This record gives sequence, structure tokens and C-alpha cells, in this order.
Amino acid sequence: MSNKNVVEIKNLLKQFPVGGDYFTALSDINVELEKAEFMGLVGPSGSGKTTLLNIIGGLDSPTEGNVNVLGIELGSSSHNQRAHLRKTKMGFIFQSYNLLPVYSVFENVELPLILNKIDKDERRSMVEQAVESVGLTDKMASRPNMLSGGECQRTAIARAIVHQPALVLADEPTANLDAENSHHIMKILVQLNQELSTSFIFATHDEKIMAYLRRIIHLDDGKITEDENISNPKAGD
Amino acid sequence: MLFKIAIKNLLGARLRTFLNVLVTAFSFFLILFISAMYNGMLEHAKQVTMDTEIAGGAYWHPEYDPLDPMTFEDAHSALPGDVQSLVDQKKAFPVLVSQASIYPGGRIMPAIMKGIPPGQNIVNMPTDALSGHDDIAIPVLIGKGMASDTKLNVGDSFTIRWLDTDRTYDADEGIVVHIMDTENFKLDMSHIWIPLKKAQTMLAMEGEATYVTYEKGLPPVQDKGDWIPRDINYLVQDMEAIIAADKPGAQIMYMILLALAAMGIFNAQVLSIFRRGREIGTLMAIGMTRPRVVGLFTLEGGLNAVLAAVATLIFFGPVLWYFGVYGIPLPIDYTEMGMIVAKRLIPVYTIGLVVSTTILVSIIVLIVSYLPSRRIARMKPTDALRGKAVA
Repeated sequence: MSNKNVVEIKNLLKQFPVGGDYFTALSDINVELEKAEFMGLVGPSGSGKTTLLNIIGGLDSPTEGNVNVLGIELGSSSHNQRAHLRKTKMGFIFQSYNLLPVYSVFENVELPLILNKIDKDERRSMVEQAVESVGLTDKMASRPNMLSGGECQRTAIARAIVHQPALVLADEPTANLDAENSHHIMKILVQLNQELSTSFIFATHDEKIMAYLRRIIHLDDGKITEDENISNPKAGD
Repeated sequence: MLFKIAIKNLLGARLRTFLNVLVTAFSFFLILFISAMYNGMLEHAKQVTMDTEIAGGAYWHPEYDPLDPMTFEDAHSALPGDVQSLVDQKKAFPVLVSQASIYPGGRIMPAIMKGIPPGQNIVNMPTDALSGHDDIAIPVLIGKGMASDTKLNVGDSFTIRWLDTDRTYDADEGIVVHIMDTENFKLDMSHIWIPLKKAQTMLAMEGEATYVTYEKGLPPVQDKGDWIPRDINYLVQDMEAIIAADKPGAQIMYMILLALAAMGIFNAQVLSIFRRGREIGTLMAIGMTRPRVVGLFTLEGGLNAVLAAVATLIFFGPVLWYFGVYGIPLPIDYTEMGMIVAKRLIPVYTIGLVVSTTILVSIIVLIVSYLPSRRIARMKPTDALRGKAVA
């Protein structure tokens, strides 16, 4: 694996058992992602973008092929190794936010740091910084049910970046948001990408997101149909 | 780390935690209360027997067998020296036992006739009701159960026939002078109590007795002749045998209560954990390993049990205390059924009961937290994240 590559996928095949047969969700996938890339997996529903994102995140395993993420070969790694990788070097942003409902914004954002055993004072400072970067300082004590959709997603972003991961995976992060909130969220993510050199991979079919991406991999029926580099994204900069 | 998260989860979940804790606390309460009631029932039976019948123990005539009325005829003699001394010092009282037939309302009924000194105050019986009835041929004290069976009331007369020491039948009129309300059916059913002197005269057994009951705390006497000392341990052994025979029943009842509690707790925990599938998926996504997820939910269960123990103390403690002091009135008089059951049952909370219940309920809570969380943690994180139901 090249030193500057964050993700390296070779000949990936992913099949799911369906009845007595197998459904091929992804096949012949070859992707390399460099540090600080801002990339999107784009395609219609069922094209395999979430499956690919889950495999990169170590939440699902490949049927065949090699998937190397941040120097770890996921196919041959243990559950604990993958969990450790996610804990220390990855952040996740989900379509439906997946915030823990009984925690406040502060506590939700703090959780990855607790898992990483960061001490209390440092934790507080890191959480405040992350929450500030998404503009939610005044909502620190609020619970998710007291927040708007945009605020929830911003909390999820803060949680994803608080431990300064090398890679953030975002699955349809703006699907539940209106246009204004979507642009707001994307601007925050672009800024974080530039400031922290964090690599981002989006799974989306939202054109508002695509306008911010610097690289788009088009998927259709589980295959890569196009790998597009965009030197001047329409929005973002 | 897990402890901190578990505490946060529990305190943060407010209503869910409150309901889980309440269900567990209620189970705690039910098990404690019902088991304590059962303990109370047994303890009461033993206590009543000692209070009304056994006192500190007894000396029996060698022929006396309370379970064999045929022995009564020969089971009488003058008291041995030291036993008589105890009686003279009013530290003991003699009882003369014989068979009799009574004729209440023209019916014939077998009875056990016991002569007892009206002035005794060693056992809790209203024997003083027998004194001061010189105008009555045979003043008789009976229990409520006997009164009910014979349809006799205070002041009613009936014929008593007995066999005296010369094997001669004789009869006279007895008059009910008092009906005692005793919880000890052994003093009541088929018993008629008359003054000792009267009994000795009727049976031509002057100065004789069948057994002597002495007060608590007396050492054994030396000169007891061939009379047999029966201490408390011996006299309560029947009661203890009944309790021991009933132990499997009590254990089954305890297990049923525990099973019911376990089901309640399991239901609450399973619902709670399975509803949190997405939360588990999220925890895995941000890097928590499966064993830690299982550990977290099991720990939450354990803390749930601790909170439940505290909640039991706070919410149900006053109720348990109230019943422990004032008891619970029972609607039925069980004496007529031949059972020593208090009219007001007082639960007895032993340390063993409280400790064993706490430990068992805690273990149950841990198991019912561990099993579903282990199962849900086995799910693929992607399924858990979608909040997919566990099959």
C-alpha cells in the first residue's frame, strides 16, 4: 500500500446470501483514496454505495478481494482490530444521525474520546472545539430530541471528527435535511477536510453534495462505471 | 470506562430506567414479602405453641402418649419429689388427662378432658375463668372451635361421662364458663378443660397428674422418679417436622416467585435492549468491541439491580416495615381447619432471606441482561445500525 493512500481496494467482490443463492452487491471494485481526498460514491439506490462504505468502515467484510484501510488489511483482520481501527482512525456520519438519545450533545460528542481513554480535561477541550467547529456551542447541554435535523447532523459530524480521525465515512449525510441545512453541513465538512486534512468518503445521490466533491466514483449495479476527478467543484471553496 | 458509560446510560434513560428499576424493585418486594409471610406463619405457629402449651418444657408420666388416648387411663400418678417442689413453688403446674364422652344437645362426642389449676400463669390460657364456680358441678373451659362443633355457648350445660381410676363410669353435668379464643388448635379441638382438683376428685386420682409443664429457663430436676423430661426441643419437634416437611413446598413457592420476577425483569430488559439495536450498532461503529457492548449492557443490568435494591428500600421499605410491625389481618379463622395461623399475620424478614433474595435477583438481572445483549451484539453492525429486529 502506498504511503499516501488511505484506502486501497483491489478486486473487491461482495455477495449476500439470498435464499439458496447469492446476490452480488459489488464486483470488480478497484479504488485508491489518498489522504485529504473529498470523494463521493454516487449512484442510484441499490448500486452498492452503502455496502462499499460499510466494507471500508470495517462494518461489513468483503467476500473476495483486498481492502486495505489505513494500513490494515480488513479481510484478514479480527473484529477487535477493525473495532480498534474505527475507534482510533475513523469517524462515521449516518443518514439518520444515530445519536444516542439519552445523551446531551456534549456527551454524544464525548463518547469516542471516552472509548479512546482520553483524560477528562483534554476530553472537555476537544469536545468544545469540535462542537464549536459545527456551531453548536450554545446547544452543548441539549438532548437530540431538542435539536433540529440540521443540529442533530452537526452533532453527528462533531462526534465523527472529535478524535481527529484520518478518514470520515458519511452515508447520505444530508438525506434528511433541507437545502439550507445541507449546504451548511457540507461547508462545515469541506472546512474540516481542508483544516485537518481528513479524508472524506460520501455515499450519496444528493446533487447538493456532489457539487462539493472533488472526486466522484459512479456506481451502478455494484460496479464502478466512472471515476471522475473534479478540479474545480461547483461549491465549497 | 464501561462503568461511566453504563451510569450515563442509566441516568440518561430516566423513564426507561425508572420503569426497569420499578419492575425489579417490585419483584424484590414481592419475593421478600411473600417469603417473609411464609416465615412469619411458621414462626408464629412455633411461638404460639410455646406460648400456650409448651412453656419451658414438661415432665411426662412414663405411660403418657398424647397421640394415643388409650394410654391416658394408666398415665397418672403422684408427682415425683422435685417435680412436686416446682409445682409448690408455682414454677410448674400439673395437668391430669383422661378420656371422656360428652353429650352436647343430646349427641355423644368423644373428648379429651384435662384438669388444670385455674391459677396457673405459666402458659397463656384463660384458666382463671375456671375459678370461683363452687356452685357449678363441673365448670368447663372450651375453645371457640370446640364451641362451634358442639354448638355450646357460655352457660350451656351438657353431660360429661368419664371412667375413674376404679374403672367405674360416672357422669355429671358440666357448664361452659368460658370460651377461649386461642390460635392453638391443640388446646381447642376435642378438648374440655376443667379445674384440676375437680378432675382429681372425679377420677379418684387425688394428688395425681399426667404431666407437668414448667416455666421457661428452669434447669432439669434431679428427683423426677420415672417421669420423662420433655424439653422444648422435643416438644416442638412435631412442629419442626411439619415445617421441615413443608420446606420443599416453600422452596418451590420461592422458585415460582423468583421465576415470575425473572420473567418480569427479562421482559423489561429484553424490550429495553432490543429496542436499542441501533444504539448498539452505533457503539460498534464508533469502535466498541462486541465483548464490551455485552459488558456494557450486563453492567447496566447489574446497576439496575443495585438501583432496584435501593428503590425497594425507599418505595417498599415502609410497606414492609408497616406489615412487619402491625401484621396483616386474615379474613378466615384457620384454627377450625386445624392450622395454627395467626388472625393477624406478621411477616418475618430474616437476614438470610434478604441476602439470598438480593443475590438471586441480582444474578437473574445479570443473566437476563447478558443473554439478550450477547445475542444482539452478535448481529452484524450494519444490521444493528439499521435497527433491524433480532430473529
